Amino acid sequence: MSSPQTGRSLGLLLCLQCRATVRALQVSHPRCPRCHAHLFQRKPHSLALTAALLLCAAILYVPANLLPVMYTRTIFDEEQDTIMSGVLTLLHSGSWPIAVLVFVASIVVPMLKIIALCVVLFSAWRRSPRYRTQRSELFRMVEFIGRWSMLDVYAISLLVTLVQIRSLAFVSVGWGALAFGAVVVLTLFAARTFDERLLWDSPP
Amino acid sequence: MVIVCPSCDLAHRAGTAPAVERTRCARCRALLQRPENGRIDTAIALAFSALVLFVLSNAYPLVVIVSNGSTRATTLVGAALGLYRQDHVGLASLVFITTVVGPFLQIVSLLYLLIPLRYQREARGQNTIFRLLAQVRPWTFIEVFMLGALVALVRLGGYARVVPGVALWSCGFMMLTLAALTSRTSAGQFWRWVEASRI
Repeated sequence: MSSPQTGRSLGLLLCLQCRATVRALQVSHPRCPRCHAHLFQRKPHSLALTAALLLCAAILYVPANLLPVMYTRTIFDEEQDTIMSGVLTLLHSGSWPIAVLVFVASIVVPMLKIIALCVVLFSAWRRSPRYRTQRSELFRMVEFIGRWSMLDVYAISLLVTLVQIRSLAFVSVGWGALAFGAVVVLTLFAARTFDERLLWDSPP
Repeated sequence: MVIVCPSCDLAHRAGTAPAVERTRCARCRALLQRPENGRIDTAIALAFSALVLFVLSNAYPLVVIVSNGSTRATTLVGAALGLYRQDHVGLASLVFITTVVGPFLQIVSLLYLLIPLRYQREARGQNTIFRLLAQVRPWTFIEVFMLGALVALVRLGGYARVVPGVALWSCGFMMLTLAALTSRTSAGQFWRWVEASRI
């Protein structure tokens, strides 16, 4: 069985910035002749970097969900809101489409993203030849949906800015929101440092 | 001409003419080519409209809340500033970068690159600015911000009267304009314009 011709087997490098195809030269730090970006066969230290970022994201996912993201103080009482209790408040106030939206964007998406990145990372590391197309598509889906988990951070930032009528109500940010923002950023970077082509490199 | 798939490294043989329809990788189904023969004038016009909408979004209030006779309003920048005032610098810069710096740099750098190209010239530092643009692009989250604003409005609705401001509309239109602009100024398209201007 003949292996398919790839950029690597033909000695071609692809510039990931401008998509130029360049013949690989034997120099130590090749640069794209068109846009001068650094060229590499595979993203350097891709698996190690992705694993490290993913581990940090997975650890921070716990405080992001347990710590309060928002404190609401009124003259009568003080309330703490975690992401989940915010969803429940929305549900009880009757706006269930919005509650579902926040639940999916803030709880389901980050969790799915961490699991999906673990799956592709593990199969790239094992160089597993099975389900490659599905894994490739899973990774592209992760890249596409990742940004939507910022939804609640934006909602909180607006609430904090708007509700500052000190005598009546005062909203302040909790550390959960920072952990949550960090999870989103770390998973976005993890997806960017992962080189999809490692999923397809055949075992040596 | 050989096209190498950016997702799985498979080499494809292709003609030199620009694609007439979407082509996908034979092995991993990633998008390889899009039909792009857009006019540079369209892209410049879209970038100018996005710039005007960006200024409007920051000059007028996004939402105004009225409660017990007192009103409060915020602009697009205001959301990041509110977090900053509560000493959440990390979160504030995240919101600032993704809703203000990202769109602004994207619009301005595109204008800087495209206007000289239209007159067959190349902007000074074109390669550096192009790489900056490629780095900034994934960090523009205006569409997510719009949905977040909707969530905030629903949450506030129970406590106060909420009036959508001018910037909510301009921000929505900026989101659409930026989407149209991004799809018309892909890296492949941009370098085709550069190469056409060099002939």
